[in-house]
Amino acid sequence: MMSCEGYRLSRRGFLGASAATMMGMHVRELLAYAGKDLPAKAEHVIFFWNGGGMTHLDTWDPKPGRPTQGEFEPIKTSVPGIEISEIFPQLAKEMHHCTLVRSIAGTNGDHGRATYEVQTSYGEARPITHPGFGSVVVHEKSVIGDLPAYVSISGRAPRAAYLGQKCEAYFVGSPGDKDPYLAFPEGINQVRGDKRLDVLAKFNNRFANKTTSKELDSTKTSVEDAVRLMQSPALKAFELENVRDDVLDRYGDNAFGRGCLVAKQLVETGVRFVMMHRGGFDTHSNNFDAMRNHGEIMDPALASLIHDLAESGMLEKTLVVMLSEFGRTPKINKDVGRDHYPVVFSGFMAGGGLKKGFVLGSSDEDGFQPKDRPVKIADLHATFSQALGIDPNKEVMTQLQRPMKLVDNGKPVPELFA
Amino acid sequence: MVRPFGRRWLVGVAALWLSVSLTLSGLAADVADGKALSKVLNAENAALGVKLKPVDQVDDLAYLRRVSVDLIGRIPTGEEIEEYLAWPAKERRDRVVNKLLDDPRFVDRWTTFFADMMRLRANTSGGAAALAYLHRSLKDEVGYDEIVRRFISANGKAGATPEVGFVLGDDADPMALAGVTAQTFMGLRIACAQCHDHPFDKWTREDFYGFAAYFGKVRRYEIEKPRVIFTREVEETAILWPPEGKAEMKDRKPMTPKFLVAMLEAKETPEYVARLTALRTAQEEARKAAIAKKAEGAAIDDLLLDAADKAVERAKNKKQVDAVTAEATADRRKIDTKADLYNQSVLRNELAALITNPKNRYFSMCVTNRLWAQLVGRGIVEPVDDLSDDNKASHPKTLDFLADEFVAGGYQIKPLVRMIVQSEAYQRGQAIGVEPTKQQELEAAFLAVPARRMLSEVLYDSIVVAGHLFDYKHPQGANTKTLRERIRVPAGAAAETGKPQNLLSGKADGGAMNQMAMAGGGMPGKKGYSLEKGIELNFDDVLKQADKEAKEEVMIEQMAVKSAEEVEAERMQMEGRAGRRMRYVEKIVERTIDDNPLFGSSFRMASPADPEHFVRVFGQTDRATLGEERDHNPSMRQALMMLNGKLTHEASRVGPMEPMHKLLTGEGKDLNAAVKLAYREILTREASAEEVDVGKAIIKEAATEIEGMADLRWVLLNSNEFRYLP
Repeated sequence: MMSCEGYRLSRRGFLGASAATMMGMHVRELLAYAGKDLPAKAEHVIFFWNGGGMTHLDTWDPKPGRPTQGEFEPIKTSVPGIEISEIFPQLAKEMHHCTLVRSIAGTNGDHGRATYEVQTSYGEARPITHPGFGSVVVHEKSVIGDLPAYVSISGRAPRAAYLGQKCEAYFVGSPGDKDPYLAFPEGINQVRGDKRLDVLAKFNNRFANKTTSKELDSTKTSVEDAVRLMQSPALKAFELENVRDDVLDRYGDNAFGRGCLVAKQLVETGVRFVMMHRGGFDTHSNNFDAMRNHGEIMDPALASLIHDLAESGMLEKTLVVMLSEFGRTPKINKDVGRDHYPVVFSGFMAGGGLKKGFVLGSSDEDGFQPKDRPVKIADLHATFSQALGIDPNKEVMTQLQRPMKLVDNGKPVPELFA
Repeated sequence: MVRPFGRRWLVGVAALWLSVSLTLSGLAADVADGKALSKVLNAENAALGVKLKPVDQVDDLAYLRRVSVDLIGRIPTGEEIEEYLAWPAKERRDRVVNKLLDDPRFVDRWTTFFADMMRLRANTSGGAAALAYLHRSLKDEVGYDEIVRRFISANGKAGATPEVGFVLGDDADPMALAGVTAQTFMGLRIACAQCHDHPFDKWTREDFYGFAAYFGKVRRYEIEKPRVIFTREVEETAILWPPEGKAEMKDRKPMTPKFLVAMLEAKETPEYVARLTALRTAQEEARKAAIAKKAEGAAIDDLLLDAADKAVERAKNKKQVDAVTAEATADRRKIDTKADLYNQSVLRNELAALITNPKNRYFSMCVTNRLWAQLVGRGIVEPVDDLSDDNKASHPKTLDFLADEFVAGGYQIKPLVRMIVQSEAYQRGQAIGVEPTKQQELEAAFLAVPARRMLSEVLYDSIVVAGHLFDYKHPQGANTKTLRERIRVPAGAAAETGKPQNLLSGKADGGAMNQMAMAGGGMPGKKGYSLEKGIELNFDDVLKQADKEAKEEVMIEQMAVKSAEEVEAERMQMEGRAGRRMRYVEKIVERTIDDNPLFGSSFRMASPADPEHFVRVFGQTDRATLGEERDHNPSMRQALMMLNGKLTHEASRVGPMEPMHKLLTGEGKDLNAAVKLAYREILTREASAEEVDVGKAIIKEAATEIEGMADLRWVLLNSNEFRYLP
């Protein structure tokens, strides 16, 4: 079932698509795609976006004893031989669930362009806009339950572009707080609200023979869907009222900790894709002070999330990913900062059927170049698609009837699969 | 040339031409008022063998609603309805069109039309200035051909040269600009031919490269600290033939620019071109006379000179680049400062002249067809951006007529809009109650109009105006409420003394948040109702700033705007630097505010709005993608926004300072009149006797009349009748 009906063929689309097939102008790649024998276990994704370019050297890829090391020491993890930065002491204990890629080879050092590429797998190529990975996932996977399939927390998800309006993210600004759009306005109680809806339905029925609009049925459905969502018990997944204080304390009672808890509740309730945003990684100066603060907030939340998902068994079918648009320079600048560095950086993953307690690839001893197994951005996307059972080479049509692959020529990385 | 009253007379006429453009527009009276257009369309329908009986024209109030929405982007107010009905029935429609064309909102609303078409975006470098420039040009009634010429050919700094925002919108990439320019301004879809010969059109890859070669020498430059983004022209073209991968690098030669259509070479001068020439000659005479007058020291209409002189002035200023900055720039980017810093683009000037050549039918038909489609609900050519040979116009003669008169009238928007909204086709009703095939035939012959939903901005502004939210409707202090919000405070300090901070942005005030959002990198603010309020883009300020910069020859075109991530990183550093001793905790504090609702026009918001914003949810595109049209399909998100959003809620509430209030309380209480007023203000029509009864019943069932009226208004605002045009 195609869950995302936002992708419709217009008249233009219909003509274009049929003509393309009839005239055989477009040669579909007939080769079976590289990952077809790999397992697909993931049903959900929690995608952490660390905006600004998180330093990889002070997090996932420490360089002890080298001039590029900086202020942090590496610490041992639950997996012998894998060390990460001291700013993640709790997460280190969960490393046996996690996967690191230390050899991501990016191409762009500009925030905007690099963000675009890491979020969509495509290089920016105006005037085309490519969809973000979350939109790709909800385009390909069916909706479960009442909640929107794609939720973006604390920040802006990339556009759904040619995948259509229905593949856009539902936006949550302040995780855990009541969403004013999911309840009647302030001062309107249930009885009065229901009465209004009842009268509205009657008014709309009377209007039906006063217009030639073909959209009245879908308007009606949209209102019914909205009301169903407003009344759905699943809405509790957005709220933290029932979370015990000790649990909240374990995650951290801050926007990130609450966000992780909401993300967990959302995937447990059926949401396919949660994008979790955190900014503040553009550390051109005082990199280490800033990262220590980030660590204090991120470590407990992320460790608790991985731990809890693993304990409940959800981690097996939930792919957790943490990425940034690029890493930061091995060289520490005069402001004790690190600058943009796309040449090699790291990514964090867990669950979703990926290999556990595993590190793929490495950077050279000072972290300047990929040393082995460089991984392209598109390969990461293809890997995630593969984990979800999505064919990364599947084609969809753009507004101008140009066929476009879901992922830009990426190949799943077989070593990452268990 | 005979000049019966001398120079003074001409100046007067020229000034007059600006305010009442029709008198000198080169259009005959029956052309200006749409009668000739109706004749052409009727004759063409007859020739096409259409025998259907047209649907009747809509009634006066439906016409008022339709034309207000289309011309000024909102429904009429109660007072406007009264004024209109007080005019003699025979004159109403003409008078209201005249009035609406002169309304400042006309320019706001049509700026959005052209901004959508040209994909101008406030969140790109130079984009806000380009939007402001477009707005100013429409306000000054600069011809559409001139606007397009400037957008296509400009070079300069983002912001300081507002026109360059168009080219920068596609990063001055020749390939992108070739596809964009051909499709946007001529309806020629050549973009596919960038990579392969067009599968279902005649365009070859060589055509594409030939066209792209006009943009081959423009380059985008970016300098950090001070942050400057600009375009300039270089010697070497980026467009080589054969394409990459098709030949060895050494065999790839600079591509010679070649225009796509040959029609411009026609020897004979069509009648409409002759009329345009005559019109422009007269205007030029008037302009020269005005300049001469200025030299004599006499007062003249400044407005007259404004548009023409601005470009000249700017060109002069551009050449005097601040020596120091220029040197620094040259040092960084190896720019030859001896030459004009930006260089004027010979190729793109040539291209702009070719595209806007009055003989280029694609240029004039493309925009007139789009404009017709926007107003009538269906293009004479559909899809509107495809004028290829195998996508024929349904009524070629009608389209010819529109295009001819548009050119002959000096590419003016207002006369074209007037002509269409006064034509029979625009004024017809929908084909209600007829079978679908017949409805289809009626609409295809423009004998009935299709159903149209309001544009998202129109919907927004109409709710604002119906709910009296452009001005305060509650007295000060009447909406005092206590907000609970989370703040960050240093650990140990009392929450009350801590400076409240928005947790997401790390900033204390919303103003800075807005700036970040404007810069494009920002995170949206707290969820709340911020999804309905907008960031106003003050077009005049943007241009004033641009002028100032051009005059001061300052290289810094805008303050180095930090990304949200950078700001957040700084905050983290500050906290870090304060030592690990300084701890922060989050606390919930209560704050009392006067929540007296006030909303601005969405046409004046920075566009495109944030993706989660009301106007985006209802169809405003992000204007990034070529060929993306507004999506008018309903969605759950739209329903949630209308059912529960603050805008609809506040519009429904009755404020003591609006006329409705005294009909519901005290001595003047008159529920019949109240229900009738609600129908007028929200649906622009009279309520039927039955509707008055139903409305009164709703009011009486509520706890108070005020609450009951809020319920009724909420229903009317949420109804399909509100958002679908009559």
